[in-house]
Amino acid sequence: MTRATKHKSKSKQYLAPKQRKEGNAAKYITRNKALNRLQIKLPEFRRLCILKGIHPREPKKKVEGHNKTYYHVKDIAFLAHEPLLNRSRELKAYEKKIVKARAKRNFDLVERLLGRKPEWNLNHLVKERYPSFVDALRDLDDPLTILHLFAWLPADNSQKIRPEHIESARKLSLQWQAYCIRVRALRKVFVSVKGVYYQAEVGGQNITWLTPHCTSQVLPSDVDFRVMLTFLEFYKTLVGFVNFKLYHELGLRYPPILDDKLEKAANELYGLMKGLASAAPVIEDTPKTDGGDNDTEMAEEDPRAVESQARLASLHSRLLAIDTEQESPVLNTEATKEPEDEDLDPSVNIFKGSKFFLGREVPREALLFVIRSFGGTVSWDGEGAPFPESDEFITHQIVDRPTQGHKFLSREYVQPQWIFDSVNNKFLLPTDAYLVGKICPPHLSPFVDAEAEGYMPEYAETIKRMQAATSDDLPIFEKPDDANAATETSKTDVNVKLEKSFTQDLSKEIAGISYSASLKRKAETAPEEDDQKSDAAPAVVPEADEAVRMGRMMMTRKARGLYDAAKMGQAKKAAKIELLKERKKKAKVEAKGNK
Amino acid sequence: MAKLVPKRKLRSQGPPSPIVKENAVPEDEGSIPEVILAADESDSDPEISTDGEESGEDDDGESMDDKEEDGEELGSDDEEDGDSQGSEYSSGDEGDESSGDDEAIDEEARNYVLDVMKDYLGSAGPRDVEEAVEHEDQGNGAGEANGQSGNPTTAEESDSSEDEVPDRNTIGDVPLEWYKNEDHIGYTKDGLKINKQAKRDQLDTFLSRTDDPNEWMKVYDEYNDEEVELTKDEINMIRRLRQGKIPHADVNPYEPYVDWFEYEDKGHPLSSAPEPKRRFIPSKWEAKKVVKLVRAIRKGWIKLDKPKEKSEFYLMWGDDLKTSDKGANGLAYIPAPKPKLPGHEESYNPPIEYIPTAEEIKSYDAMYEEDRPKFIPKSFPSLRQVPAYPNYIKEIFERCLDLYLCPRQKKDRKVFDPEMLIPKLPKPKDLQPYPSMCYMEYRGHGAAVTSMSVDSSGEWLATGSLDGTVRLWDVQSGRCRKAWDFGVKVNHVQWNPNPQINILGVAVDKDVVLLPTELGGEEVTGNVAALLALKNQDVSEKDPESSPLATWSMDSKFKSLKLRQPFVVQSLAWHHKGDYFATVAPDGNTKSVLVHQLTKQMSQNPFRKHHGRVVQVLFHPQRPFLFVATKMHVRVYNLAKQQLSKKLMTGLNEISSMAIHSGGDNLILGSQESKMVWFDMDLSTKPYKAFKNHTKDIRAVAFHKTYPLFASCSDDGTTSVFHGMVYSDLLQNPLLVPLKILTGHETVNHKGVMDCLFHPKQPWLFTSGADSLVRLYCN
Repeated sequence: MTRATKHKSKSKQYLAPKQRKEGNAAKYITRNKALNRLQIKLPEFRRLCILKGIHPREPKKKVEGHNKTYYHVKDIAFLAHEPLLNRSRELKAYEKKIVKARAKRNFDLVERLLGRKPEWNLNHLVKERYPSFVDALRDLDDPLTILHLFAWLPADNSQKIRPEHIESARKLSLQWQAYCIRVRALRKVFVSVKGVYYQAEVGGQNITWLTPHCTSQVLPSDVDFRVMLTFLEFYKTLVGFVNFKLYHELGLRYPPILDDKLEKAANELYGLMKGLASAAPVIEDTPKTDGGDNDTEMAEEDPRAVESQARLASLHSRLLAIDTEQESPVLNTEATKEPEDEDLDPSVNIFKGSKFFLGREVPREALLFVIRSFGGTVSWDGEGAPFPESDEFITHQIVDRPTQGHKFLSREYVQPQWIFDSVNNKFLLPTDAYLVGKICPPHLSPFVDAEAEGYMPEYAETIKRMQAATSDDLPIFEKPDDANAATETSKTDVNVKLEKSFTQDLSKEIAGISYSASLKRKAETAPEEDDQKSDAAPAVVPEADEAVRMGRMMMTRKARGLYDAAKMGQAKKAAKIELLKERKKKAKVEAKGNK
Repeated sequence: MAKLVPKRKLRSQGPPSPIVKENAVPEDEGSIPEVILAADESDSDPEISTDGEESGEDDDGESMDDKEEDGEELGSDDEEDGDSQGSEYSSGDEGDESSGDDEAIDEEARNYVLDVMKDYLGSAGPRDVEEAVEHEDQGNGAGEANGQSGNPTTAEESDSSEDEVPDRNTIGDVPLEWYKNEDHIGYTKDGLKINKQAKRDQLDTFLSRTDDPNEWMKVYDEYNDEEVELTKDEINMIRRLRQGKIPHADVNPYEPYVDWFEYEDKGHPLSSAPEPKRRFIPSKWEAKKVVKLVRAIRKGWIKLDKPKEKSEFYLMWGDDLKTSDKGANGLAYIPAPKPKLPGHEESYNPPIEYIPTAEEIKSYDAMYEEDRPKFIPKSFPSLRQVPAYPNYIKEIFERCLDLYLCPRQKKDRKVFDPEMLIPKLPKPKDLQPYPSMCYMEYRGHGAAVTSMSVDSSGEWLATGSLDGTVRLWDVQSGRCRKAWDFGVKVNHVQWNPNPQINILGVAVDKDVVLLPTELGGEEVTGNVAALLALKNQDVSEKDPESSPLATWSMDSKFKSLKLRQPFVVQSLAWHHKGDYFATVAPDGNTKSVLVHQLTKQMSQNPFRKHHGRVVQVLFHPQRPFLFVATKMHVRVYNLAKQQLSKKLMTGLNEISSMAIHSGGDNLILGSQESKMVWFDMDLSTKPYKAFKNHTKDIRAVAFHKTYPLFASCSDDGTTSVFHGMVYSDLLQNPLLVPLKILTGHETVNHKGVMDCLFHPKQPWLFTSGADSLVRLYCN
């Protein structure tokens, strides 16, 4: 081809086809071209894309071919002007220098070089990607999920997961949880097979994140942790700044101080909360409304001194707390709580006044987080527990084993699911179904919209009725368990029917029809009505069907396709619901057979 | 040679070196290789001597040395001694061998001594040279005299030369060869000749060896012409040398080394040059540098204390809540879609109906990989039994991949009710009358009824069927008035539209039969009979060569006129005046469309060529136009001007039927791809509206003559009736509304409704089906 063109150019001036200046050909370039333009290798490009939040786009016309990835030219130009691009090159050169100096045993130079490391941070990217705080909050789901994942991962040298990564991830996630507890932001909890889903409402945004079950994770071989770590790097920065802002809004110091003792006892969250409680007033003395400058200054004060002081203070308060605990436990629990309890929405304060004790076998971290987010007081079986198991004022003990050896009569022994279900339904469920050794009712997802789904599990209906009963302030909710509730509803149904018939009778009386006559009439009309219904139903359907068919004739082809697709979706959904109902029926039959 | 020399006993302990020394002349470096040679040749005494002598000198000059130094020197001395001795000894050795002596040990020892000497001389050479040089530098006396003068001191100082005996011979360092032929070997101190000793013969040697057990320890000294007996110590020394050890047992070779010069403070190399001035005055450049640094420190350019640890995070966002749609790159920000929230089925303890049964789970295996559900709900009796989710990290990783690898696109996904898509149509009730109910069925045909026609009065219906009959029905009563049996399947029937000419055109195989229906009054019948009488019978006779397009003949059976064509006639169409009619024989190629004149009984082929297989032709209801439908297009010919007036681009692939509105401006086409299209020919040559109202091939379409109705029937067994209002106002588009879908016909052999036809006066519809029925639908 090129030969041909050359040949042509000899004989006759040949003009190469003009490069396009507009349209998709000019707007989008393939990934390889982008790499060439930026003069970087693919891993570096991938890293930059992750950090900058640049993603491929779908051009309407794929000029270079259909199986290629396209980036917008503006995106690539944006990358080309990114200071990190140069910074990473500097870093590479710097590392080379260190390696060289070390190889030459020039340790002086190494030391000097180590002190001159090029600065690398992603702060400007956070601001660039999330110009306002709300933007950042909106995108917080994935960051939190990944931070919580890394908080649980083992450090692994071969995958370059360093202990620092895990430590910082853990710290940030705990700070986030502490904030959620402090402002009672948690709304929903769902224990799934995959992990525990939490949903919190912060700044008017619903933020959902997933944490793994507290079992050790096995690192799969087919996962590229470089990608994950790049994401982690950005998310750490993002969540750090978000946490700072949130703490700043509360007038709290950031980063909060962890209680050393409790941290060692692996109750970090509790330790953090202790720190928050003790550190808060110190900062609140300083003017809150000042701008950012003041705050940064404050943060710039010699952090170590502040930290050590605060640590001492927290330790002191902790010791005090332990002392007071021994004297008057009730008082103490109040002391650790935040002051603004009164003006809270009751739905986020359902555990107020309850005192919980966690057994050894329940997931402590999740329960600590949830119970404290809903106003409860918690202790646990282990080191650093605020009050012992023998405390008389404990109302609920959370256990997750078939039997309980020694039982205190003053408290209820419930399974952890009770906490989650109560939280999701915003009122304290009756504990009967959740007691030790019982098989719990199904744990339902709070994220499902029953109406959109078109199907409501039985237990959801039961809970709904209970909720209605509690809102009416009826004392029913004290006793009902599953069966009771069902009978309750049947009773109400009967009541309604009776009432209806009564009004009918009344109206007839007014019309002057005798009771006996009306009875006769009823006997006549009732079957007729039924017949009419059975006749009418099939008759109506084809008519409607015909109308639909005729309407379908008049549709454009596009509309018809859309219509068919929508109908197919509806049919699928209906089939799913049908399947659920069928399974339910079968299960019921089986259960009966077993009985 | 050496063997022959008579032996002379050496004095006890005296190592041979001093002996050698006496004769030695100090020499410089060049001598060393010679030394080695000498050792081999065993006549090298003078050369060898150099070392020993010098060492003696050394000792002399450096008497202040440390012990170690001394020791070393001494050691070296000894070594030299060993050498010379060895060389001496070697001669004796050979003698031994020749005599074939007794003790193996002795022999061994001898060999061993010899080897040692050779080795040692080789290795020790260079060092000696150095010392010799040093010696010369000091300039203590020169030349030969040196050697002599050094002697006594050496004898005094070194242990080896302590009990040294001065040489008997005083010839000095001259080659012994010079005395080879003399009787004497030299002179004593007093100048007396020393006579050579008598040479011992082999026997003597042997005897002496056998007699004297110490014979092997003796060495012949050629210089003094005597045999010297080595002491035990000397032998030991040699043995040590041989082992590579220092000859004296009490010398420690690993003493710590103490350097002569103190290099540390002095600097090296030492120089006696005077100190330059610049060392005493302050540096200008340093001062400048200091000034610079001081300034930098003062101005805070250099910070001496370590930079404070900046807190990692700061207040990034103010209180403003403004959000912008555009990102920093100027493109619209498309947030990643949030992951789907979990439903009940993901719960660790889901409701029982969400858990698939064992059979269902088994059935998943049979599914395709893509269809298989990724997550199978499972129930755990308690929270503590929930294990780690094995795909947890993988799923999050996949989410990460989605975040940076998936192209993002903004799509407005509206949640809508699909019923909303159905267009709002006027209610059929408002558009009455239209045929909606089956009023009557006409039974009688034995096979599928392919074609129908109603006479202009609307009282009679003619139907043609595959059973080979044409039947005439009374529309009102449903009675079959008449039946003509052709025996071959009837393709098409069509009434003459002129009520005065009550003729039924029937297309049967290759024939077109014009049947007199014998309906109407006398006048009409007569008229028809006159028309159907064969007029020019002699046409064929007139022009036998030119094959006629069609042959007109009389059919006596039905008293009808028969028109035979070369190809199978599929359909025929009457002109509205009833005189002309056109026939279509699709296989006829250029002769597929023929126009016939009834009154003149003549046929003509108006077209030279067709673009495709002709399906149907129609006359315009008022004007001289002919519509010719081929498979994909419809061509409109102006008959008056004899030219093509329009070509309708149908967009269809297989046109099956065509009908024209009574106004003549609107046309509908049915196609085998189950589509019906409406043409408004005033508007465009492209379809005004296309309907996909059937699921199978459309067989026929029909317009009502007076009512705004049209219909299509299809192989799916249905007939759809539409309202098609055409307004006289040219600006207003026709209003098309589907009214009714009529069912009733059964499909036989994938054939459903074969033909449909409107009643000319009433809003009634006739349909004929493959089930051999004809139905009448009324309003």
